[in-house]
Amino acid sequence: MIDGIREEVAIIDESDIILVRKTVREAATKFNYSLTDVTRIVTAASELARNIFLYAGSGVMRWRLLEGNGAKGMELIFEDRGPGITDLEQAFQEGYSTSGGLGLGLPGTQRLMDEMEIDTRVGVGTTVVVRKWQRRY
Amino acid sequence: MIEQRHLKGREPITGESISVIKIRDVLLVAMPPDPDDTTITILQEKVLAAIERYQVKGLVLDISAVQTLDSFFARVVAETAQMVVLMGAQTVIAGMQPSVAITATQLGLTLGGALTALNVDLALEIVSDAFQRRQRS
Ligand SMILES: Nc1ncnc2c1ncn2[C@@H]1O[C@H](COP(=O)(O)OP(=O)(O)OP(=O)(O)O)[C@@H](O)[C@H]1O
Ligand SMILES: [Mg+2]
Repeated sequence: MIDGIREEVAIIDESDIILVRKTVREAATKFNYSLTDVTRIVTAASELARNIFLYAGSGVMRWRLLEGNGAKGMELIFEDRGPGITDLEQAFQEGYSTSGGLGLGLPGTQRLMDEMEIDTRVGVGTTVVVRKWQRRY
Repeated sequence: MIEQRHLKGREPITGESISVIKIRDVLLVAMPPDPDDTTITILQEKVLAAIERYQVKGLVLDISAVQTLDSFFARVVAETAQMVVLMGAQTVIAGMQPSVAITATQLGLTLGGALTALNVDLALEIVSDAFQRRQRS
């Protein structure tokens, strides 16, 4: 179990992608991210939620706040028990898609967020963790 | 003559709808803030059907309300623009919010080189300019 989880959204239907976006937008707005950062975080969440819906069938999104070393941030965790990703390097290549997509979801999310970790096991599932730190202006 | 119709997507959370308005010989389509995948797919079909039916010379896609432009939405927009060109009309995407433009660029979206405009007024000008140029040549 991960500490400090604020909300959890089950991704089962396609409409849950919208629910993930809504949940993340509300949270990120509440925690005073700039509009551009809110848009980045929500867009990344949309990509990862859709990947779960498309490739794993179902899964869950959780989010929590991060605090430490004088920095604050938000962490989103996307977990599924789908087929896993055989070749991670290939999956992160721009334009690589097994579904006729643009192949931008994973590499684009990495650019939009400050940190991205992915743990995937073939036949077991995939967990993607992304973080965005708050800028001090 | 202005024709207006509302298409309701399967949208249980926000119940957003897409408005399709015909102004002279241009089809003006306004996207809701957070359209789901089904709404976006329906949009593509309805737009192509309307272009054929009303024999318009252009499509202006107003995305000024759109808060999240992810890889799926972008792919359908780019595809639709290409199909519209094949049908002999022109597509202009109008009113992208700055935060959305920053995010889309970072994500790696290109919209397939479709024409863009700051707002709907300028988009309508582009459509009529492009049409006149084509008439002359
Ligand atoms: N949760 C997941 N489980 C299994 N496979 C995945 C998962 N997420 C991504 N993949 C695999 O990685 C590939 C690349 O993913 P990515 O999101 O970058 O592109 P895409 O989904 O194919 O297209 P786009 O996101 O641009 O619409 C996918 O085509 C899919 O094969
Ligand atoms: Mg994807």
